[in-house]
Amino acid sequence: MRVTVKTFATLREAFGGRGVLYLDLPDGSTIRDLLRALGSYGPVDELLEERSNVKILVNGREITYLDGLETRLKDGDAVAFIPPVAGG
Amino acid sequence: MPSPSYPQSPADELTQSEIERYDRQLRIMGFGRESQLKLKRARILVVGAGGLGSAALLYLAAAGVGRIRVIDKEVVELSNLNRQTLYTSEDLGKPKAEIASRRLKELNPEIEIEPLREKLTDDNAESFLKDVDLAIDCLDNFETRFILNRACVSLSKPLIHGAVYGLEGRLTTIIPRKSPCLACLIPRKPKEPPVTPVLGPLPGVVGALEALEAVKLLTGLGDPAIGRLLVIDGYDLSFYWMEVRRDPNCPICGEKG
Repeated sequence: MRVTVKTFATLREAFGGRGVLYLDLPDGSTIRDLLRALGSYGPVDELLEERSNVKILVNGREITYLDGLETRLKDGDAVAFIPPVAGG
Repeated sequence: MPSPSYPQSPADELTQSEIERYDRQLRIMGFGRESQLKLKRARILVVGAGGLGSAALLYLAAAGVGRIRVIDKEVVELSNLNRQTLYTSEDLGKPKAEIASRRLKELNPEIEIEPLREKLTDDNAESFLKDVDLAIDCLDNFETRFILNRACVSLSKPLIHGAVYGLEGRLTTIIPRKSPCLACLIPRKPKEPPVTPVLGPLPGVVGALEALEAVKLLTGLGDPAIGRLLVIDGYDLSFYWMEVRRDPNCPICGEKG
């Protein structure tokens, strides 16, 4: 299956600057699996370190209100990583 | 002091010049005279007169918010002028609070502006907040945002939060203990970036939306962005809404806080 990953702000920069990545994952993969696969594109460890401040959304819903890192993905899902920003 | 040609008008009626100045918004269905009088009687705090503040302040002054207290300690720098539309190249080195106040009075002499050349701290925040109807976060760093958030929760003052980065923006309206506060949304103190990249239109859009939220809260018009966070992606011009919830364990607004 293929999922779309959208990264914002500092994470957009850390993951190559394009803002959108397409990842092919085995069926039944979770957010945890996705994070592992993302490792070849950018600093996943840093992302996880800031985890409590980074909103992770699947199709617009925050995973905190789904199954957290165990949230299962399906073909066509859109996953977003949104860190806080402070500019003005 | 108000200029002599605009004597202080009573708080319970609109003068002829006010009726003309606000004509286009008085025509909005559901707005009318009562809403305009609510704006006229309102007192608000705008923290930061930079990119967000430039847009928010211009629209709030133009809309006729009666008393606007604006806090900013900085002076105008050349690197501000790609986005801080209150200022011109003539203003370099001058204090933002005072220049902003002058510009806003030129735009609308019917209102009062209270410029404060100060930095918001834990010690002074509540004194600036205690007599206002709401506060608007037009800051440029996390640390002062958390000071403002804490004071707003402590005094139960609505807080309109906006922030930008590059081609992105964020906005939410916080009603303490009813909707998540900034510490619910950002539970860990993030690393403070030394300088944030920003393209001017983003604080323009977000600051204007903050002004809109303030007018809505003050008049009761519409549904403010309470319990939801707007994420603007200027690269593909997408606007995302995220549901956000209170953290019951929040050290600032939680039940144990």
